[in-house]
Amino acid sequence: MVVGGLSVACDIMTPLEHYPVVDLGPLMKGLAIGGLGIVHVFLAQFAIGGGLLLFCLQWLHMRGGCPLARRFIDGYFKVLVLVSFVLGAVTGVAMWFTSIQVSPRTIGVMVLEFHWVWATEWTFFCLEVVSGYLFYRYGPRLPDATRLRLLGLYAFASWMSLFWINGILSWQLTPGGWLENHDVWTGFFNPGFLPSLLFRTISAAAIAALAACVLINAVPGFSREDRASLVAVCARPLVFMLAMPFLGAWYLGVMPADSRGWATGGNVPMTLFLSMAVGSSTLIGLYAIVAILRQRLFVNGATASLLLALAFVATAGGEFVREGVRKPFTVRQYLYSNSIARDGVAVLRARGSTTDDPYPVRDAASYANEQLVLGARVFRAQCSVCHTLEGVNAVVELAGGWTIEQRRINIAQLQRTKPFMPPFAGTPEELEALVQLIGWIAAGRPTSWDLSNDGRVLDDIRRRMDEAGTGPGSPTATLAVHLREGPQDAGVRPDGPP
Amino acid sequence: MNAIFPTGFTAPTALYLSLFAVTLVLHAVFMHYVLAGSTYLAFGRLMGPRRCAVCGWQSILVDWLPFATGLAITAGVAPLLFVQILHGREFATANLLLSHRWMAILPVLIVCFYLLYLQKSSWLARRRWVWRTVVAALACSGFIFIAWSWTENHLLMLDRDAWAPLYESGALRYASPGVLPRLALWFFSAFPTLAIELVWQGRLLGLDVTRPPAAAEVVLGLSPVRRLALAALSGVAGMTAAGGLYGQTLTAADREALFGPLGGPWLTIAITGLVVQGGTWLAAAFCNRMPHGLGVVTTIGWLATLCGLVAARESIRLVHVDIATLAERHATAASISGFPVFLTCAALTVIAIVWCVVAVRAGLAR
Repeated sequence: MVVGGLSVACDIMTPLEHYPVVDLGPLMKGLAIGGLGIVHVFLAQFAIGGGLLLFCLQWLHMRGGCPLARRFIDGYFKVLVLVSFVLGAVTGVAMWFTSIQVSPRTIGVMVLEFHWVWATEWTFFCLEVVSGYLFYRYGPRLPDATRLRLLGLYAFASWMSLFWINGILSWQLTPGGWLENHDVWTGFFNPGFLPSLLFRTISAAAIAALAACVLINAVPGFSREDRASLVAVCARPLVFMLAMPFLGAWYLGVMPADSRGWATGGNVPMTLFLSMAVGSSTLIGLYAIVAILRQRLFVNGATASLLLALAFVATAGGEFVREGVRKPFTVRQYLYSNSIARDGVAVLRARGSTTDDPYPVRDAASYANEQLVLGARVFRAQCSVCHTLEGVNAVVELAGGWTIEQRRINIAQLQRTKPFMPPFAGTPEELEALVQLIGWIAAGRPTSWDLSNDGRVLDDIRRRMDEAGTGPGSPTATLAVHLREGPQDAGVRPDGPP
Repeated sequence: MNAIFPTGFTAPTALYLSLFAVTLVLHAVFMHYVLAGSTYLAFGRLMGPRRCAVCGWQSILVDWLPFATGLAITAGVAPLLFVQILHGREFATANLLLSHRWMAILPVLIVCFYLLYLQKSSWLARRRWVWRTVVAALACSGFIFIAWSWTENHLLMLDRDAWAPLYESGALRYASPGVLPRLALWFFSAFPTLAIELVWQGRLLGLDVTRPPAAAEVVLGLSPVRRLALAALSGVAGMTAAGGLYGQTLTAADREALFGPLGGPWLTIAITGLVVQGGTWLAAAFCNRMPHGLGVVTTIGWLATLCGLVAARESIRLVHVDIATLAERHATAASISGFPVFLTCAALTVIAIVWCVVAVRAGLAR
């Protein structure tokens, strides 16, 4: 594709790239990236909010508003360095490595498209580490003005790292005009950018404030009065949580309608996780505003820890939803969650999704026939990003109980079966091989299994795949494609509107 | 490939190769300090508590290794980014093939990072000597494990023929004759880096090796500068031996790249730098001090070796990739806007970092 004389990333978008697929056994890959992502986001937000909080505390101290602040800042910063500079930094690198393990194609597309943004973010990492470590090391011996400037630089650098990564992450769900012009800045300043940035900034401030309340109680040498006065100051950023419902609603509003639908009742796990995030945030916000800020109740270590744990739950819920609502895409309207290019499904239906796969199936001799080995290759290429065979979110659990005819129909029209699933992107022979594999495993892996190569069955599978089309299955996503490209590629029924 | 690295390629390829090489050198500056520093500490512990207390280098290392590790990780992000633009498919494939073994570097890195902080703690200082030695040895072993994993990963990236069989076998270890010598080459190259960095750091922190040593600073008959010289010369000797062994494992095409127009000049620069370093460290050991001028010459030699090594390393890699396909990918990447923003932010960051250092020094002086 050429836009404005520039060759852009989709020039080199092939329908599917084959990589050696990692097998995590019964564990779903999403659990690995999800678990790590939640921990990293929580730590990163702690660091970002911590920088902002400490800068404000130092400023207050210099204005005489908080005499104990200087001592507390030095203690807080030690924890920040020990937690954020070690765990935060390494889990950040781990996010890249884990993304490669889960979906090398997705992270490859993101890196290619946003490598200058990432490189820019890296410059702020450098500033964050140097200014932070200098403060950690020399802060207690520095005059107030230098401390303020150093903390200001640290806070600015850490917030800028959020600024840059937020553009990339929000682009995945709401690429907006990027889909039309492939301009990196259009993608970066996408519809979800601003609500997401503001929401995350407030989350960061809230997490840092709660962590401060924990530390105030943990640091020795403060009297109860000291602690009460410090809590009263450090808890102030929690008042910004009042804006969270509006920002959350704004973010939901800019989401694609089908994604919003998953989170608001269309998909039970996602709705539950959203409720968990909203519920936890509400509890924290209510307690903070009513008990801490209005009634000036003292927050002891146990209560502060509980509130911080709730903040972790809210982060976990929010991140789960953010990852989940992108389905069936990993980059909206561009790359399906199984790393197949949206525009490549038709090609793969003609050529096959395993034809060019250079990697053999492990333990191929343990399969009863060659068709099952092909089925294993199809599973690996199209399903294994989100499913296991027999572990978490197992295809055999999900489809093993269906009749063979159900399996053929449901997989041939996968995007209709479950609108958050991508369309099947292979030949009828590959689909039948997958159907046979599921049946064979569900039957307990017998040593002998008949080949299924009836031409009428394959013709029927092809007819049903053609009926469903190659586009996504959700009504709104389908409509968008339908309007742009016509019914033949939009996953619509030929006998009626989508 | 008839021109010196990174010229002779299309402009976008040359740009990304240069950025990768420069940021890799920057990463190596800190990574070497950590790898060799943790090894120096682990060996130093064998001298016993009293001698260790006298060794100023060990005190500096205990104090600064955590920060250096943070810098090494941060500096490592940039080459990690550019390698994915340059050789994304190969890098991802090697990561996936080594799988859990490869991912193990992350928890190991976290553990090692905290062990470095533990070495700084007064809690460990109160423990028995054997525990302090165990902690130092564990940290050192962890960093060597990470170095080994990176070496294996790099060589696997180059060996396309091994990918499918390795995947089919399910093995998580890539056995190649090049792994050990290449690991040894990079491991030993860390010691001259550590030595010269400690010279400059020592000057800032009050352990000045430009003057003759005091009797109290001598440990096991070695003055501070001689201890550094011993580390640096061991590194130079080890690099020479490991480099020779590694050369034996290279294919004819690799050697052509290494000794030809692409990598040859850089290899010459690296060897020249090595000879310079060998000479200056011998002179320093002989004089029992490192005068300022000698330190500058050693630094130039060290930089030449490091830059030469990185460029020679990349020259070998380029033999193993389809440069025409890559050129298309690099052109696509380069057409994506954002480079001026990166350059501007990089410049502003450098200014801000310099300001931080100056402001802290001024603040401390007050």
